[in-house]
Amino acid sequence: MSGATAALDLAPDRFGRAKPRPERLAPERRHIRAVLPGALAKTRPRPLYAVIVVGAVIAIVSGQLLLSVGLSQGAYQIQQLEGQQVELGRTSAALAEDLDRLASPQYLAVNAQALGMVGNSLPSYLRLSDGAVLGTPTPAAASTSPIFGATLVPNAQTATIPLVGGQNPAAADGASSPDAGTTPVPLQDGLPSPTTR
Amino acid sequence: MVRHTKTTRRRLAFTIVAVSIVMTLFVMRLVDIQVVRASALSAESLEKTETGDTILATRGSILASDGSVLAEAVMRYTVQVSPKDAGEFERDVDGTEQTITLDQATNEIGAIVGKAGPEVLALITDALAADKDSLYALIAKNLTLDQLRALKALEIPWTTFSESPSRVYPNGAVAGNIVGFVGEEGEAQAGVELMDDSCLAGENGRTTYEKGSGGLPLPGTTVTQSAKDGGDVVLTIDKDIQWFSQQSLAAQAQAVGASWGIVTVMEVSTGKLLAVAEYPAVDPGNVSATAAEDRGSRAFAAPFEPGSTYKSLTAAALIDQGVVSPNSQVVAPFRYLPSNGADINDSEFHDDMNLTLSGVMVQSSNTGMSQFGEKLDADTRYAYFQKFGQLQKSEVGFPSESGGIMADAADWDNQTTYATMFGQGFSTTAIQGASLYQTIANGGVRMPVQLVEGCKHADGTVTDVPDATGTRVVSADAAKQVSDMLEMVDQESWVAANVDVPGYRVAMKTGTAQQPDGEGGYSSSYLVSMAGFAPAEAPQFVVSVNLADPVKMNSSAAVAPIFRDVTTQVLKSRGVQPSTEPAPNLPLDF
Repeated sequence: MSGATAALDLAPDRFGRAKPRPERLAPERRHIRAVLPGALAKTRPRPLYAVIVVGAVIAIVSGQLLLSVGLSQGAYQIQQLEGQQVELGRTSAALAEDLDRLASPQYLAVNAQALGMVGNSLPSYLRLSDGAVLGTPTPAAASTSPIFGATLVPNAQTATIPLVGGQNPAAADGASSPDAGTTPVPLQDGLPSPTTR
Repeated sequence: MVRHTKTTRRRLAFTIVAVSIVMTLFVMRLVDIQVVRASALSAESLEKTETGDTILATRGSILASDGSVLAEAVMRYTVQVSPKDAGEFERDVDGTEQTITLDQATNEIGAIVGKAGPEVLALITDALAADKDSLYALIAKNLTLDQLRALKALEIPWTTFSESPSRVYPNGAVAGNIVGFVGEEGEAQAGVELMDDSCLAGENGRTTYEKGSGGLPLPGTTVTQSAKDGGDVVLTIDKDIQWFSQQSLAAQAQAVGASWGIVTVMEVSTGKLLAVAEYPAVDPGNVSATAAEDRGSRAFAAPFEPGSTYKSLTAAALIDQGVVSPNSQVVAPFRYLPSNGADINDSEFHDDMNLTLSGVMVQSSNTGMSQFGEKLDADTRYAYFQKFGQLQKSEVGFPSESGGIMADAADWDNQTTYATMFGQGFSTTAIQGASLYQTIANGGVRMPVQLVEGCKHADGTVTDVPDATGTRVVSADAAKQVSDMLEMVDQESWVAANVDVPGYRVAMKTGTAQQPDGEGGYSSSYLVSMAGFAPAEAPQFVVSVNLADPVKMNSSAAVAPIFRDVTTQVLKSRGVQPSTEPAPNLPLDF
């Protein structure tokens, strides 16, 4: 953008065709004047505005500070509660697992046997509609009861859980059931619980 | 002026060319980066900035029909230490600082994880010996929550803990052979665990984020794809009946020295398996305690020659075809030599007996049954085997399930043509045997065998519910007549006293089958069976018992106590009313 364009721009000047334009613009320019320093000096500074501005800044900064303190406080609380939730969830899962083990038929059967209970293989029924007794009611005896040995249907999950009265489940096998029938083991401390608890 | 312009133009041209070249190079580079190598480069950049964690999906549970848990996913914990940092530390005990030595700390850890203190210490010193800057040594895994909490309470600064999903079987060996088990890494290996792995296995989720310096996630870059937990498989198995069956089976199998045994309990109206008890049983929580060959399910996978319990099939086919009735008569000799050259014997010598078909069933006479059975051609009888579901796998689709072994009717030799009438010369599984009796008990309508109720998802929907459309195999009348004959067997056969279930009418058939020796002949070992249903007037439950090679009692008397006890227990636990109508009384001889 050099010589060639410049030459073209200059051309009208030489012929004097564009001359009237600057004259027409001149009066408009006169409306714009420089602001004199004296004009500002006339207005006295108002301290109220300064106070408001400074106060607002302080209020905003302290507000933000308090807010972030509050937020992080909340975040800590959330974290703590979430941690608690995880721990409670774990406890709940562990207890459910224990319950499932304690509810296993092997454990219930050897426990019942340890308490001196025997199975009745000769059921009889009372029909409610007419009061009829179906079947022949016969007292169940240890001799006719199926023997529930803990080792017949093994369960690694309950092998270490003590029976009622603190017996070892392995010891309370089929062989000991006739004794258990004559001397029932008293239930001492409510239902048994796993040793791990 | 002209000269100046010329120079300017040359410069201009040079500039344009130079700029163009540079632009072209830039564009080429841009295309190369943005288009040609775009995916490789962005992958590389993500690798440097993005990181992620897998969110483990929980494997579903396997539930018994009442909802009790047979297999479930649990969380176990692993404790590891940083050997480089292992040493003395201060512990706050009741407000005073105490110095805990390394020995003390390892003793404390050992007491909780069940190892000796020096053993724990050795793990640390070994790791240091291998690498003096070692930051990782595994101390113990598979710890329970209580152990984890006890370890955390020790406040040892150089211990860390991690979670590892595990699987437990709270009911041990109850239905263990059916439930199956998973491997060390949680991969399904056998049984329902394997069969319904697609239902049980969840889909792991993943959370990814771009990491800043220090590895912290940049805010707003975290993308989480949540894990989809597996569904629960609900079985048709009744936990208590299953346990009682296994208990009863194991006790008797040990008493008579059987090598293995199976008890199957099936619901007559639905074909649902309430119990598939096996001996020896496997405890999925302690698989290694059971021999490898006993870890699967023989009931599904191991076919055997069933023996006389399959006379019921021949009788049902004969009556359904209208060629005989329960009162049809035959003279049953000890030895029968049919015209085709076969040689049929009864199990024990006897003089000729004048028997009805009912009598043949009660006496379990092979010669008598052969003379009735030959009234139907081989193809017709083969078609009945097919219709009774004896030639194909059951609808369960158990891993390694067998569909039995039977040659085409056209390939039956002289002996097989007759042997198939009384349960020899072919093999079926225990499940197929139970299904045969289910069909007879259900008025001739065979129901598909069901082991699984369906796959229950977290939102409560149940999918993969098996088809439960029955197919008629024999007429209701034929089924009733066979049922009546089976009731005669229960009352009149030589083991009748051993199978009496007081108060109830029971239909059953015994079987003592010779087992193939693997060389085309028969070995000296027997498989004794008893299959039947109760209450006979309105059958609800099929009970089928098989015992292999009971060395101390080689007859169906060996299985009688199991059949009686399990039948009684099923009727009792399901609250079935005792029978009030008298049992049929069919003539057995003439």
